[in-house]
Amino acid sequence: MEHIIKNTIAKLNTPEIEFADVRISFTDYEDITFMNGSLRNFSSDLGSPAIGIRVLIAGCWGFAGAKNLDENKIDILISQAISNAKHGGKFMQKPVQFPAMKPTVAEYIHQPKINPFTMNRDEKVGYLQNLAQAIAPQGKIVHSYVSGEFMRQERYYANTEGSYSHSVFYSTLPVMLVAAAEGSAVQTRTWPGHMSAGRGGFELFYEQQFEQNTQRIIKEATDLLSAPTITEEKADIIIGNGHLALQLHESVGHATEADRIFGMEISYAGKTFIKPDMLGSFQYGSPLVNIYSDSSDVRGLGYHPLDDEGVPGKKVEIIRNGILKDQQTSRHIAHMLGLEPSSNMKASFADDYPLVRMTNFCLAPNQGSLEELIASTEKGYLLDFTKTWSIDDNRNNFQFTTEIGYQIKDGRIVGIVKEPTYFGITKDFWNACDAICGDEEWGFHGTFHCGKGEPGQSMQLSHGVAPARFRNINVSVKI
Amino acid sequence: MQNQLEYLQSKLQNEPDLKYVLIASNWQTDFLRFYHSQTNYNISKSSTSLGVTLYKGRKSYRFSVDDPQKDKLDQALGLALSVIDSLPEDPDFVDVENENSLAPKREIVNNIAAIPLESKTRILAELAEAAKPFDFEIFGTFICNYSEHHLVNSNGLNKKAAVSPIYLEVKAVHNQSQVTVMETFGGDDFSLFNLADFKARLLNKIGYCSAETLDIEPGHYEVILAPRCLAEFVQYLSFGMSARALDQHSSFFEGKIDQKLFPDFVSITDDPTDPEMIRQDYGAEGHIYKPLKLIEKGVFRAFTCNNYYAHKTGLPKNGNTASCLKVDTGDKTLEELIGGVKRGLYISSLHYMNFINPVDTSLTGLTRDGTFLIENGKISKVVMSLRFTERIDRILNNVAALENKAYTIPFSENYGSFDVETVKAPHAHILDFNISSSTHTI
Repeated sequence: MEHIIKNTIAKLNTPEIEFADVRISFTDYEDITFMNGSLRNFSSDLGSPAIGIRVLIAGCWGFAGAKNLDENKIDILISQAISNAKHGGKFMQKPVQFPAMKPTVAEYIHQPKINPFTMNRDEKVGYLQNLAQAIAPQGKIVHSYVSGEFMRQERYYANTEGSYSHSVFYSTLPVMLVAAAEGSAVQTRTWPGHMSAGRGGFELFYEQQFEQNTQRIIKEATDLLSAPTITEEKADIIIGNGHLALQLHESVGHATEADRIFGMEISYAGKTFIKPDMLGSFQYGSPLVNIYSDSSDVRGLGYHPLDDEGVPGKKVEIIRNGILKDQQTSRHIAHMLGLEPSSNMKASFADDYPLVRMTNFCLAPNQGSLEELIASTEKGYLLDFTKTWSIDDNRNNFQFTTEIGYQIKDGRIVGIVKEPTYFGITKDFWNACDAICGDEEWGFHGTFHCGKGEPGQSMQLSHGVAPARFRNINVSVKI
Repeated sequence: MQNQLEYLQSKLQNEPDLKYVLIASNWQTDFLRFYHSQTNYNISKSSTSLGVTLYKGRKSYRFSVDDPQKDKLDQALGLALSVIDSLPEDPDFVDVENENSLAPKREIVNNIAAIPLESKTRILAELAEAAKPFDFEIFGTFICNYSEHHLVNSNGLNKKAAVSPIYLEVKAVHNQSQVTVMETFGGDDFSLFNLADFKARLLNKIGYCSAETLDIEPGHYEVILAPRCLAEFVQYLSFGMSARALDQHSSFFEGKIDQKLFPDFVSITDDPTDPEMIRQDYGAEGHIYKPLKLIEKGVFRAFTCNNYYAHKTGLPKNGNTASCLKVDTGDKTLEELIGGVKRGLYISSLHYMNFINPVDTSLTGLTRDGTFLIENGKISKVVMSLRFTERIDRILNNVAALENKAYTIPFSENYGSFDVETVKAPHAHILDFNISSSTHTI
């Protein structure tokens, strides 16, 4: 494959092409889903090829992608990419520019503890079937599923500056859900929430303790049917990792993707309330809040040796002691902002166009355990496991509902509430953060399904978080 | 692709115990994304794939092969045959689709070829030039797709379909205030696109933006929903109209067939035959896709139901997927609708909606791309984007009037495979719409 990609780059090394890169990927994907105790889907797509060619001509990008690596087809793609750049150039005002980078050559081959594609199939299916039968409809449980999505991706990257990388990754998305019903009321509980994806193989099912939590989610879903709702206008809330990852994702992660500053996502994902002059001075959160993007951390789904335009993986401080310091950028956007590129340009597959994406986007830990944090909370709620999420196109006004809330009185959990819903304004919310747990509670929580871009791409990424407390938050939402 | 399909079908003839569904697909897109009145990027993409589902008794295994050469098909089929016996059964599976009727033949124009990039950039340059004197720039996408699908199954289905949607979305954004308005075109017939009309509608909306901008307090407001908003609420409502949602106990419509749920003038049809929309011939499993009344004069009439869920739930099956929704028009002009509001809001577009509880249709979301105050029957001011928390059934029960004209609204499907569908809807006058907070931003 190195031969094909380097041959293709050689064809793109022409005077009219200012910059070009070529990516090739091979993806194995498998999905196993049990519904109500029975196998509903076992599907696979193995060895799926993809190639993408991006060229910059007279300051305009052109791109062509396909799922076919025949040499003739690659030549057609080169022509299409060049033609697209030239035609696009007829509708241009400010050409794309960025400084050259010195070439980097890198390789990373990841090995999961339990390879989901080569492990004993009966063992794999049998394990999921046992989980599915444990949570099958019973009592007030009327619907359930257990799902495992497994992916292996081999990626090649090369550009006209001489950079080249080859990498192999395994990732897994394990999840289970139960729905309880009584009359017209329905409540759901998942384990371990919707941010359960991670770098690794089948071992994630064991590490995330699925078997140990089947009875817990059955009981909680059932108990939620008769649980009260929050009655206060405002409350102190602790957010557990099963939901905090998404709070971070929506209100800081997407907000600090700098393509949004320049309107490149207005047509779909939206803008951001952040303006360039806020860098270095904007009090995004309380002094406890330290947030970084780290594509050099191999533990997360966002690790890469090089991003999809040749920038080596790196750690970038986005917020230091509550102050906005940096952005997630491409080379073009970093140049416009006077920043160093942050290594955040990613495409889901090689035939997708690279976009500014979160990689491993993390809230740094502070100190203490969750138990200690609850004990130090006189009155409030521990909210966990995302149910509903929504945020405006400037990433300023969010509203979340979690699957469950645990009521806290005098430092102890005394009951549960259903459909706890809170809303706020991003800056006010992060400035209301007065505690973040320590290393012992910190971990990566990931997704396969961060949507962005047109044509749409679902990106795999991770968030490192530890439970955190936010004071005096609006928890009253009525229709 | 025809060869690969026939090759695989011939191999499966040696496996009399198996039932199968084979779908060969060719998909292409030409995609121009623009910002600040210039190109962001131009994309051409294509893929060919063969999707296969095998059934042995009640056991099933699916696989898909991209760029399906014979050696890859042999390998994938070999794996499938070695796996399927060891899998657990699905007790709810009965048979693959057997509805054999063919859709009327119609000519499908490949809009990628019909609307070359030169035409796209020329249209966009003209729109950019029109917006420029008002200090607006244009942002958006101009997409043409073309896809062909050929489905065969072990019950003798052999059906081909093609679709070539067009999606043009232009947002005009003021350079200083960031106030945004939007105009779209969607469908599969580009002869229906009238650039002069499109430009006039965009400039008319830009005209609303010269007024002052203000924030408003949360509360219950009379609102005029633009067709895009009503269309999106109806799309969300339709999630509960599927037999799958019913089976999973997540449907608002459980136990409500033939019940009167909304006012008389609320009627919703899933109509794949309307030439002003993106037409569809078949459902995903090959059942013919025909017009289906979902809500008739406020009465819920039918679930969309595929072959699998028809067997499981006992509901009548159809090829409908609620991908071609149409809301019946009313009897008021837009001027009469707005003129009937003393103090309220005009909402152009919605953003990031999500159900709080699909069973009671409660959800939250935001306004976007043009929210305006209406005072004494006229649009008077620009309003910051707002959050609403509502129930769709409450919204439809609070419809005071509908416009006497419907518009085709395109929506891009951005998760999974990229696709475009259209909904046809009029403006709607809604009472008592719950604005739960402000974003304090445009």
